[in-house]
Amino acid sequence: METINKLPKRRSRVYSSEARVAYICLIPAFLGLFFLTYLPLLGVLGISLTNWTGLKPPEFIGFENYIKLFTSDPYIKDSIITTIYFAVLSVIGSMIYSLFIAMMLNRKIPARSFFRAVFYIPYVLPAVAIYVGWSWLYEGNFGFFNYLLSEVGLNKIHFIADSSYVVPSLSLISVWLSGNLIVIFLAGLQNVPSVYHEAAEMDGANGWQRFRHITLPCMTPIIFYNLLMSLIANLQVVTPALALTNGGPGNSTRFLTYLMYDQAFVNYKIGYACATTLIIFAILAVFTIVLFKTSNRWIYNEGGDDK
Amino acid sequence: MKTGKKIGVGLILAALAMSAIGCANNGGNGGNTASPGSDATNTPTGSKTEKVKIVYSMWGSAEEGSTTQAVADKFNASQERIEVEVQAIPWENYMTKLNTLATAGQLPDTGMLQEGGVIQWSGEGMLNDVSAMYEGSDSKPLDSLAYKHEGNTVAYAAANEILLLYYNKDMFDKANVPYPPAALDQAWTWDEFVATAKKLTIDKNGKHSGEEGFDSQSIVQYGTSVENLSWQLETWALSNGGGFYSEDGTEVRIGEDASVEAIQKVADLYLKDHVAPLSVGQTDDGIQRTIIAGTVAMATNGQWNIGTSLNTAKEEGLKYGVAVLPYLKDKVTLNTGGANVVFSQTKHPEEAMEWLKWYNSEENNWALISSGIWMPTLDKWYKDETFTRKWVENPNFPPYEEYKSAVVDYAQSDAARPAAWFYTNYTTDFNTLLGSVLGDVWTGKTTAKEAITKNLDALKAAHAGSK
Repeated sequence: METINKLPKRRSRVYSSEARVAYICLIPAFLGLFFLTYLPLLGVLGISLTNWTGLKPPEFIGFENYIKLFTSDPYIKDSIITTIYFAVLSVIGSMIYSLFIAMMLNRKIPARSFFRAVFYIPYVLPAVAIYVGWSWLYEGNFGFFNYLLSEVGLNKIHFIADSSYVVPSLSLISVWLSGNLIVIFLAGLQNVPSVYHEAAEMDGANGWQRFRHITLPCMTPIIFYNLLMSLIANLQVVTPALALTNGGPGNSTRFLTYLMYDQAFVNYKIGYACATTLIIFAILAVFTIVLFKTSNRWIYNEGGDDK
Repeated sequence: MKTGKKIGVGLILAALAMSAIGCANNGGNGGNTASPGSDATNTPTGSKTEKVKIVYSMWGSAEEGSTTQAVADKFNASQERIEVEVQAIPWENYMTKLNTLATAGQLPDTGMLQEGGVIQWSGEGMLNDVSAMYEGSDSKPLDSLAYKHEGNTVAYAAANEILLLYYNKDMFDKANVPYPPAALDQAWTWDEFVATAKKLTIDKNGKHSGEEGFDSQSIVQYGTSVENLSWQLETWALSNGGGFYSEDGTEVRIGEDASVEAIQKVADLYLKDHVAPLSVGQTDDGIQRTIIAGTVAMATNGQWNIGTSLNTAKEEGLKYGVAVLPYLKDKVTLNTGGANVVFSQTKHPEEAMEWLKWYNSEENNWALISSGIWMPTLDKWYKDETFTRKWVENPNFPPYEEYKSAVVDYAQSDAARPAAWFYTNYTTDFNTLLGSVLGDVWTGKTTAKEAITKNLDALKAAHAGSK
């Protein structure tokens, strides 16, 4: 009995001293997380229950901000719809685009590293410069795209001045900006074991079959990661609205984060803006949970069910 | 239970406010930390005691701050009672910073305030009445430049600005069309304005709008562009006998037919008359996009453009002129100008007003005025020709006679009316909502009537501050 008990005990002592070191090492990260993430989050929750404008001391008003948001706010409904619309378009677009580009760049093409740089560059350019550049392309009266359209005798398209075109137009910029996804896909593609491809080739599988049954399954963990990151980033979209459209025309680009910015830093309804922030948080949470819950159905794990 | 919640919320806020206070202390000693012994200076004989310290906040870079400080130093040297310290805050953060300073009770004594914030701050009891500022002075600011809240003057504008019609002289000469009138009594009616704009709108085959075979899809030069930012649109609503608000600012009048019709007329310049480029009010660079880009013959916008962009374009060869706005029923232009206020947290309102009055005299803002960005506020610059000449005879400006008539005289005429934020609250909310409501009107997806009627309740709620 004694000898049997000894082993686990010793192991647990080692374990506990390791655990102690681990906990000590975690303290800085935890402090950062606690004071810079969780505490402010609680702060936002607290402020969202007040009518704080920044000028007078806040008064506790319960859920009034939330009630207003859902009953009388002139923007929130359009804002939620347009944010999700933009995010879905951008995520689907950039996933397909980046996977395609990554596969092209994974081949042995001439000047491969040059092209890799070319597709990554948009991601590292300063955002405002990008949007100013695109605004010249999109300009409704004399912009480059409209110049091309008029040269071939087509009617002008008001890419960002027309409420039906503005979200797809902005999504296109977002897709073009997805250089970071390409890099991650590329890394993933290089990990797809070439033996599978060789074996499949010997069995007479064509390119599409190999993509469908080898590349895609092997890439699913990477696809999941990119999907998640891209979704979170695109649901928090704000830069194009600030740089190009001011939320317009109408409410068509009044994205949630832009709405919150407007409430907090233009109209100084800080309590109200905090309530909006929590709505954004809830939407992000819902999308993330759904994604995680459905992920085990389509993610292929080489190591079995090693979760 | 309720107090418990309050304490909880209070604690969280306290934690957040800490950071705000931290920032506040970096930017100088705040308004209320007057030097010890400053009370003694209030006695008339206290000339030898320490000076009262006043902090004046302004938006601008550190460099602009030191320029203003140099001006303040002249004031400091000129008398022995008041010492002014300038606190420069970047424009982007200005109101945010003032908000946090207000929460912390550390506002400066006096400072600039953005137009839309004046009545709101006054409503929150943050501003002092300044009506006594010009008592006994021989020159006062133009009447339209006083911010009024509940009958009290709570601020004077730091500068004057009015809306004008700019035009490209070369385009007019080329089309052999007479220039728009600089004199108010010859102002164009809307129809004359549209007719002229048609003559100046050219498609790639050289056809004019309204002519047989004119192709509105291939316009190479537009006749006009009427700025449709919400606040500037009020000009046309007023000109048509309507308005956004009643004169005392209590009622919303934008739903009236006259107001709606005026907004539709502006939209129709693009939609029906085909004389204007599409603009959906997304950016605030109207003059750069039109007159300076060389794509539009006439454009309406604020006087400040002379100093912010047109003076450079003029040096580069642009020949532009200034004219009075066309009108629908009444001749109207709006005037505006960011405010200089005295914060109610100050312990030294008298001294703050004395500084403001000194500082607001045009000589001390000469760089901004002579470059054409600001117009003077005191009436002597408008009424006394020696002063007017000193101001306008300057290579940054259009020819004297033209500017005198289209700007100086226009600004002191009956046509000049204060922009809404001089007398009513929540204009920022209202203008944002209006901009969003009208988004599809400019592209013709809906009409002004439909869009405004549908959202009238929301607009009224925004004006009431109960969004």
